Amino acid sequence: MTRRVLLMFAVLALIALGLTFYALHLKRKVARDEQLAAEQQRALAPLTNGPPTPVTLYIASDSDGTLRRTQVKVTLPPERTERARAVLRALFGEYLQSSSSHPIGAGADVRDVYLLGDDTAVVDTNAAFGDAHPSGVLAEELTVASIVVTLNANDSKIQRVKILINGQERETLAGHADLRRFYEASNIGQVVKDLQ
Amino acid sequence: MPLSGRRSRLAWAITAGLALLFAALLTRQAGVHAQSPAQNQLTVYSPQTSYSVPLLDVNGQPYAGLVELFEPLGSVDARIDGKKYKLHFTPPGGRPLEVQFTGGKDKGKVRGNGYKLPANFVLQNGRGYVPLSVTSEMISRLLGGETELHPAARRLFIGNVQARYTLELHKDNPPRLLLGFSSPVNPTIATEPGRVRLTFRREPIVSSGPENVPYSDPLISGVNFSEHDGLAELDVTGTAPLMANFADGGRTIIITGAPAPPPVAQEAPPPPAPANPQNPSPQPRQPAAPRFLVLIDPAHGGNDIGAAITPSLPEKDVVLTLARRVQHELANRGIAAGLLRNSDVAITLDQRATWTNAARPALYIALHAANTGQGVHVFTAMLPAASLSPQGFLPWDTAQAAFLDLSGSVAGSVAAELESRKLPNATLLAPLRPMNNIAAPAIAVEIAPPAGNVDEIASAAYQEQVAQSIAAGVAAVRAKLPEVRP
Repeated sequence: MTRRVLLMFAVLALIALGLTFYALHLKRKVARDEQLAAEQQRALAPLTNGPPTPVTLYIASDSDGTLRRTQVKVTLPPERTERARAVLRALFGEYLQSSSSHPIGAGADVRDVYLLGDDTAVVDTNAAFGDAHPSGVLAEELTVASIVVTLNANDSKIQRVKILINGQERETLAGHADLRRFYEASNIGQVVKDLQ
Repeated sequence: MPLSGRRSRLAWAITAGLALLFAALLTRQAGVHAQSPAQNQLTVYSPQTSYSVPLLDVNGQPYAGLVELFEPLGSVDARIDGKKYKLHFTPPGGRPLEVQFTGGKDKGKVRGNGYKLPANFVLQNGRGYVPLSVTSEMISRLLGGETELHPAARRLFIGNVQARYTLELHKDNPPRLLLGFSSPVNPTIATEPGRVRLTFRREPIVSSGPENVPYSDPLISGVNFSEHDGLAELDVTGTAPLMANFADGGRTIIITGAPAPPPVAQEAPPPPAPANPQNPSPQPRQPAAPRFLVLIDPAHGGNDIGAAITPSLPEKDVVLTLARRVQHELANRGIAAGLLRNSDVAITLDQRATWTNAARPALYIALHAANTGQGVHVFTAMLPAASLSPQGFLPWDTAQAAFLDLSGSVAGSVAAELESRKLPNATLLAPLRPMNNIAAPAIAVEIAPPAGNVDEIASAAYQEQVAQSIAAGVAAVRAKLPEVRP
């Protein structure tokens, strides 16, 4: 009888020890996740190797509500959709830097770009892009406009752009900009002129 | 009793005790991990600002984060060294003051003097928490001056910020109850049959006498004051539907009986009832006289707070105040205006468009606010112009295309008025919902801080200027906008 009780005591002690280690493991995991989230705020690295190619980015600025045309060098893959994705990741990389003039949600990324026919691009962004984007009519419009004109500037065949969040259509980006529609590069072009 | 039996019982007792101890420890550990989201909030009212501090529930006791508590009152620098927590708080224009505690201990130091907490200091996720009951005394020790904590209501008053209200019942016909405040207030208003509830989230309203004031009036039965969950409520009850109106720049709220039928678009107009061919109306309706109605849409509401202008100032509240100012300014110019929402209620984007189109306004104005950028942006819908007749059937997704010219005229006129008041502004196209679905001239106005100072976005002076610009801009183009037959 006594031996049985001692055995149970030992088992309980072992369980407690195991749970202590598990709690420590969880604590370290939380710290690792936080570090990972902080790292995601840094500029996103290009996907492939090869010689860097100049690409045109339209960078938004919240302080004066403008879009500025700029060129950066990015290593571009040969495939068209992958190239569009690399261009957009370079654009997001600019916005994710701590000194960005137009910060977007930490951890925002482009999951994929799909082409419908020759002229329509569907940009699938991750959940962080939609969930953590600053809310505001102008702030959201600047993001949408910069995505559309940046794609069009680097692939002139892309005339229409649709933005998805985590593979799903969403009503608005962060409460304002309409994400149910296809954006025409020609329409956005007029907006960009107003914003320059 | 044999010795082995006694030993066995003793061993069982020890085992059971250890098991209970393990269970308690595990529960405590799990509890700390599971409680990270704020369960409730403390509202702090100071002479400079009002803000909310999320409370952490530790073993059934509410705790407040020191950084969250002090940050809005000055600059804060918190550091953790092992289990030791140090916070340096510098009030505006003052010198740094130190608070020191150790995680799991109840003794610490505030400004170099020993300080004993009623329960242990909690360190969690790199943040330091103290029991709610000491927040008042700690602020008083660091800032000096009087503080008052209403622990059950989760409200903390710094300095003599408490604002009291007056009640004045006018028994004329119809009876009116005047609620007077020393400074403008902006409560959310909820109405239900025979009751109006005013909820004050940011105003330090406290009871000015008995909390329950009964009236022997045929319309208004009484007023009840209550405070809970970091807010104050004034509940006015009556024997018939009641409504609340603002007067005197928000310093007075007038409670009266709601007229029957309700006035045109004082609140969101209901969607039109579908025609029922089996029960035709016996009396054909007389065509109503054309009228000029502006419908103002304060964006967001309810759980949809819009942008967080500051941690304690959501866009939904800023635009509701602005909407009331615009309505008032339009009324001053003889233009009837209604609000799509006049309280903190959630309305979907499709509902906003449906109700607006059902009300057939001469103009729709959506109001937004943001904490980025500067000045005022006036938007019209981003749609290609289409040769649609406003009188015919309009496609839902592009209904606004038929009105783009008129919308542009209004936007230009409002921008000119903003310019004349030297307010930074820009006129832009925007892919903003639900503007595309509006079958009437439509603009959206987004206000940003006037000169980079976020707090000024809610200032009465700034909002008055914006409201006057909008109203003057609308009045200037009124002749171009067609009156509409309801």
